[in-house]
Amino acid sequence: MGSAPTITIYLPAPLRTYCAGATQLSIEARTVRGALEELERTQSALYRNICDETGTVRRHLNVFVNADNMRDLEGVDTTLTAGDEVTIVPAVSGG
Amino acid sequence: MADRVVLTIGTKKGVFVADAAKPRRMFSLRGPFGPGIPVYSTLIDTRGTPRLYASSCSPFFGMKVLRSTDMGKSFKETKSAPAFPKDDGRAVANIWSLEPGDGKKELWCGVEPASLFRSHDGGDSWEMVPGISNHEHARKWQPGNGGLCMHTIIRDGNRVHLGISTGGHYLSEDGGETFQASNQGVGAGFAPDPYPEFGQCVHKIARHDEAPGRLYMQNHGGWAEWTGPGGPRPDIGVLRSDDYGHSWRSIAKGLPSDFGFPIVVHPDDADTVYVMPLEPATRACPGGAPAVWRSENGGDSWSRLARGLPKKESYFTILRDAMDIDRLKTPALYFGTTTGQLWIGREGGEKWECLFDSLPPIHNVKVAVV
Repeated sequence: MGSAPTITIYLPAPLRTYCAGATQLSIEARTVRGALEELERTQSALYRNICDETGTVRRHLNVFVNADNMRDLEGVDTTLTAGDEVTIVPAVSGG
Repeated sequence: MADRVVLTIGTKKGVFVADAAKPRRMFSLRGPFGPGIPVYSTLIDTRGTPRLYASSCSPFFGMKVLRSTDMGKSFKETKSAPAFPKDDGRAVANIWSLEPGDGKKELWCGVEPASLFRSHDGGDSWEMVPGISNHEHARKWQPGNGGLCMHTIIRDGNRVHLGISTGGHYLSEDGGETFQASNQGVGAGFAPDPYPEFGQCVHKIARHDEAPGRLYMQNHGGWAEWTGPGGPRPDIGVLRSDDYGHSWRSIAKGLPSDFGFPIVVHPDDADTVYVMPLEPATRACPGGAPAVWRSENGGDSWSRLARGLPKKESYFTILRDAMDIDRLKTPALYFGTTTGQLWIGREGGEKWECLFDSLPPIHNVKVAVV
């Protein structure tokens, strides 16, 4: 199996403090799950903000793969291809 | 030399810090600290160099513990927050209590779902305490309206008292290695058995430091009219123990309601205890007229303290950790409301005055003389 595709993860402002101020990260991953596992390995503080200790993406966060919410695709098993943009966004709340 | 009265105020939108010189005439307010999210627990840690702690519970990004080493001028996240082991299957949903442990840096922390954590380094790392977190009852506890929370941690040498809603009172006598449900005399209104072994909706437990055998409990009362299986359960809401929490008896007679959340003990007199009776349906003071009620004889009789408080049309709630008392010679009580008011009850609650009237909804009030 060849190397995993390089994708970009875009981060909301409240999370940038957990990755030295980066607004985006380039990582190699074949699926959303793989991307999260890579974050757990390389950006553990950031990862803890995105996933709880069971490994589940936090309930009030949305993860988009390009323009689609991953829950409308294959969830964390959504396949990634080179150049994909994964965006992490807090759910709209309040009123 | 201790010379400032410091208040930590946990709110729906972060933590505030207020302080005043000892006469407590004028309090100055700082904050909010944290990213504008709920703070359910705070701690003014007076061991060694004083530190302030606050939980910061984000529905988006999870749990954090904030720490201040400059008396509340700034707060920073500790290096980690309580979290279950990865294979446990549970995730921390809220942090409900922070209490000092042994030495200068040990901390104890109660969370939702009801579990206990301990830090040996001032909150930078945490370990789960399995004796209660993995107790055989733990997966049988049910959440109350506020969630399945461990809200009370009281330590006395090797004794550890825990209050869980809804789990009841649990007692360890071996420093937290093992725990037993200790609810003899503690009623439950929402189960056919009025006195189950565990599962009571304990709201808060308080104790005087120098009388560790005496404890007071605000339990989930308001069941005098119950007509279902097991019959009515009057006066199960306010209780007292004289045997280190092994058994409890009602002291609710004379109160306008046995429902409420906070319960506070006078710092110099274990017989003087304060509650804030609420109507069980609305969680507001009876008749819309707020009052703290005080007993000076261990709960045998009660008197109403309301001078300076609104006389009508006030329907706020005072949550379980939103009342405290300072340790000055003539102590003052403090309570915060769900409508964002912070009140001081000078002369032991005889005269009330609103210190701040437009804070966010208040979850937690702690006071210390530092």
